[in-house]
Amino acid sequence: MKILVTVKEVAEAEDDFEIDGLDIDERYLEYDLNEWDDYAVEEAVTIAEDGDDVEVVSVTIGPERAEETVRMALAKGVDRAIRVWDDDLESADMLDVGTKADILAAVVEEEDPDLVFSGVQANDDGFGATGVALAEVVDMEWGAVVNDLDLDAEGGVAHVHRELEGGVEELTDIELPAVLTIQTGINEPRYASLRGIRQAQRKPLDVQGLGDLGLDASVLESAVSRTAMFEPESESDVTVFEGGAEEEAGQLADLLRDKGVVEG
Amino acid sequence: MDFELPSEHRMIRDTVREFCDEEIEPIAWDIEEEHRFPEEVFDALADLDMMGVPVSEEYGGLGGDQLMYALVTEELGRVSGSIGLSYAAHTSLATKPIEMFGTDAQKERWLEPLATGEYLGAWALTEPSSGSDASDMDTMAEKEGDEYVIDGTKQFITNASVAGSILVKAVTDPGAGYDGISTFIVDPEEDDGFEVVTEWEKMGLNASPTCEIKFTDCRIPEDRLLGEEGEGWTQTMKTLNGGRISIAALSVGLGQGAFEAAKSYATEREQFGKPISKFDAVRDMVVEMDRKIERSRLLTHKSATQYDDGEDVTHSSALAKYDASETAREVAEDAVQVLGGYGYTTDFAPQRFYRDAKLMEIGEGTSEIQRLVIGRQLGL
Repeated sequence: MKILVTVKEVAEAEDDFEIDGLDIDERYLEYDLNEWDDYAVEEAVTIAEDGDDVEVVSVTIGPERAEETVRMALAKGVDRAIRVWDDDLESADMLDVGTKADILAAVVEEEDPDLVFSGVQANDDGFGATGVALAEVVDMEWGAVVNDLDLDAEGGVAHVHRELEGGVEELTDIELPAVLTIQTGINEPRYASLRGIRQAQRKPLDVQGLGDLGLDASVLESAVSRTAMFEPESESDVTVFEGGAEEEAGQLADLLRDKGVVEG
Repeated sequence: MDFELPSEHRMIRDTVREFCDEEIEPIAWDIEEEHRFPEEVFDALADLDMMGVPVSEEYGGLGGDQLMYALVTEELGRVSGSIGLSYAAHTSLATKPIEMFGTDAQKERWLEPLATGEYLGAWALTEPSSGSDASDMDTMAEKEGDEYVIDGTKQFITNASVAGSILVKAVTDPGAGYDGISTFIVDPEEDDGFEVVTEWEKMGLNASPTCEIKFTDCRIPEDRLLGEEGEGWTQTMKTLNGGRISIAALSVGLGQGAFEAAKSYATEREQFGKPISKFDAVRDMVVEMDRKIERSRLLTHKSATQYDDGEDVTHSSALAKYDASETAREVAEDAVQVLGGYGYTTDFAPQRFYRDAKLMEIGEGTSEIQRLVIGRQLGL
């Protein structure tokens, strides 16, 4: 059995930052493994540890800087990794969901995994769509926002809990091969052991360009472009109610009426 | 000259930092207040392969270098002086000498459980009446048949009450001076005639046990002699070269922890309508912290790198330890000042760093002894 985990190095901005053109100024950014992907890696590695002959492969689209991030996945037990990057990707303004799905689809064709795990979303751009878009391109079954997974590898079925709006959960069976987008809280991601980190330096990390995947720069064409970057204005206000419970309830009711939250 | 850490080292530092922030920092004040040795933390450190960082993989260690070990020690110091101190004493003083001077059989029996973190180790040099003049010791080890009999008292022994092995320095040849000292491996669980007399209440670092221990007719088999008879002092000098680097690293960590607390407070706390970091008086204090910490860290990394290159580090490790320990105390003191009244309360970390930092100027060679060492290196 083979599990492919898509991971992303995401930018995290400091509390106070400045905007430079269409992005946050590089000086205020730090890079780390996307939080959701950490859970996806953990889920895959746990399945590999509990099962026989499970290979876990990680793939990322990102510059050389991202290698440390993907090595962290190797340190936690992923067997090998692929990093997709080349000059065309480097010069692209942005990679939209369609582009990423096409690139990852080419990797899926090459690797032929039984399961693909991605994080539900990335905590920088937060499209939350790459996993499902990938499933569409490669024509696999899919389940989004999975917060519990019971895999029946022999039967080729994943019994999953999906988190829906309003605290509702859907219990469903998904036939393999499938793409599952993994929600935080599905497990408790481990710390990489120091020995794991040392061993990760010697695990294979393949760098592939668009050409290696049978793609060309046309995959970068996108109908989506970033037009502006700004910090939304936010206002906060505090009202302190004083008095007995009844008085406070009255004050709250007045406030809710004033603000138009309730009518009458 | 490359000031960039290798990627492997960076990853290890970042992982250890994450572990420290999540698992140690939240309990750092509680264990200090309760005077509790946090066994569970050391179990977790063992699970992450942190207890034998600079020990060869053959004996269960990580096979890392001194620089990697210094980075890990700094991260521990950044959140908890107590855990950092017990960790550094375990690694530099209790574990490394067995790797450097032990026989294969001794390494198998005594090094492996230390390097894998099965238990902590201690080492015992200081005595009630022998501190800076460490070779002037009263503890004796007499050979009787195929045993040695140890008698004497050792003072301020880190980890002694929680250790699975203790390296004890004792006089085997009273007339021979430096050449009359030997090192023995004592098993505090199994060997008769060993006793922890006192666990000291201290100004800080109270989650790291500091003990007075006593040997009364303590009989141990002759295969517990580490190296040869009379080599104890030379071993001590070599051991302390590495030990000074670890205390320097721990001190840099204490300074860093205090600095971060001060910096974040100074940017959030507002007086006269603006963050206090915008006032020169406060900004300059924080800037000085940055300057001192960076200087101490560079000295520490330089000495660790020289150690890894097999160079003599007597001079550089003394400089690093001397500088970093003073930095830690000065930075922590200023951090208390930056936080003002809050800094003086136990709700905030700077006072803990301040109390912990003071020991760094005392343990493993006082600042006065470091200046003596450096002076000799300069031919003065």
